Amino acid sequence: MPSQSDPRVLAKAPTVVRATDVSKRFVIRKEKSLKERIVNFGRSQKHKDDFWALRNVSFEIKAGTTIGLVGANGSGKSTLLKVLGGIIQPNDGTVERRGRLAALLELGAGFHPDLTGRENVYLNSSILGLSRKQTDEYFQSIVDFSEIEEFIDTQVKFYSSGMYVRLAFAIAVHVDPDILLVDEVLAVGDEPFQAKCMSKIRQFQAEGRTIILVSHSAGQIEDLCDRVVVLSHGNVVFDGDAAGGLLALRESFEH
Amino acid sequence: MATQAEARALRLSELPFETSVNAGPKYVGGFFTAIREIASHRELLDLLIRRELKSRYKDSSLGFLWSLIKPLVQLLIYYVFIGQVLGAAKGVADFAIFVFAGLTLWGLYSETIATGTASIVSNGGLIKKVYLPREIFPLAATGSAIFNFLVQMVVLLAAIVLLGQFPISLNLLYVPAAFVIVLIWGVAFAVLLSALNVYLRDIQYLVEVVMLLLFWASPIVYSWGFVVAAVKNHTWLLEVYLLNPISLSILAFQRGLWQAGSQTRVLEGREVPPQDWPAYMDLRLAAAAVVGLIVLFIAQRIFSRLQGNFAQEI
Repeated sequence: MPSQSDPRVLAKAPTVVRATDVSKRFVIRKEKSLKERIVNFGRSQKHKDDFWALRNVSFEIKAGTTIGLVGANGSGKSTLLKVLGGIIQPNDGTVERRGRLAALLELGAGFHPDLTGRENVYLNSSILGLSRKQTDEYFQSIVDFSEIEEFIDTQVKFYSSGMYVRLAFAIAVHVDPDILLVDEVLAVGDEPFQAKCMSKIRQFQAEGRTIILVSHSAGQIEDLCDRVVVLSHGNVVFDGDAAGGLLALRESFEH
Repeated sequence: MATQAEARALRLSELPFETSVNAGPKYVGGFFTAIREIASHRELLDLLIRRELKSRYKDSSLGFLWSLIKPLVQLLIYYVFIGQVLGAAKGVADFAIFVFAGLTLWGLYSETIATGTASIVSNGGLIKKVYLPREIFPLAATGSAIFNFLVQMVVLLAAIVLLGQFPISLNLLYVPAAFVIVLIWGVAFAVLLSALNVYLRDIQYLVEVVMLLLFWASPIVYSWGFVVAAVKNHTWLLEVYLLNPISLSILAFQRGLWQAGSQTRVLEGREVPPQDWPAYMDLRLAAAAVVGLIVLFIAQRIFSRLQGNFAQEI
């Protein structure tokens, strides 16, 4: 079963993300310190490199879609995801969106090693947009999902990497997003936990949440996505169903 | 579960589109949008301040007592060496209270700016991954500086009460005024410098050096009377000295809490007249506050221009 989204619901679903002519240019400067800048002043054009990470990317995403962004390394997937999430600003074009957005760009980005698991749950939930009251409500459920109850009052710097991502994932799936941005983080934890994550993602799909996913795993894309956007050197080269997307992806590797 | 999905779709179809938050209004309105956004994240701000305070002294057995030990040792050094050995305490009654009052307020300012400047870079991990109103990081640094300030304030007030010097007079109103002005200027520079520091890492080291210099540009370990006596042939220099809003605030703070400064005391058999406080102090303070707010506004506008590229520059 390639997807759990009901096509009838999708057809009349409202648009939640609209990207219009989005371009993002990175200027790669080779000097960083004051000394280097003064020494190279006037010649500084030589020390700059332009690099278009995204070029005139436009698309719309309807509510309830699971969309996969794929492409070779450096094709602009993660940049696009960050632009959609408002983390970086495009040089050109606009991104409009509505609904609550949560980004699973890197699990545990907001964790502070010196704080306990419990303190980090509150901090990270707040970063992802939950109020204190909501976190109180979800707290037990977050801990249950992560299965690390006995270590919840230990500082997270003593956690194993598996425990760390379990807790981070548990928080992220409890923030009740309308749009979820996922960057390569579904393959976390051991096999039973991975299965648990996948079933959570499916539940999200059934609940009509929009998921935008960056992944290199063809199996995952085929499994989860209704739609695939293939990027190559910052351009959209394919936008359509999962099977066609994977084909286009293989083609783009050859260039 | 289709009903839940449908309900969500219906709710979403009624929401207005928002363009990405960074691209908000560019001019005057943007400042107030930013303030509204920060206000809606105040719970997070509170948690970040706690994180800052908790993590700083975590695993140390004396914990936050360390935030007291440093200023007390500073007090000791200035009292003994500058005050007694070099003689700055001559003609200054209750020199310890005088110095500690200045150090406390200066501590607020320098800590706000120093930790605020580094705050964006040191929270780079978060900024690269999640969208938050980024002003929240310098503000969290300010929050923890305020906490340390309040702890020192308790010690200062306790000392004043113990010495029986509690200054019950209208001069006490200078204390909150000085606090607010230092806060406005501190936040303004913290916001501005934290953004610049992303593009030019030298800023944070430069700030350390400049703060070292500025410490001596304010009447913290030497008294205002000393300044007046030193430049009595060029009184215009006093005006220049008072242009520094922090010097002015520290003077106001001392005027509020250091009772001996406003009284005639007898010290070692000599009569010490009260400090010749600058004229029009209220007016100067009001001006410093207004100019500070304008600087804060400009700093936030520059910050919001620069923050679009934070995620890729850190």
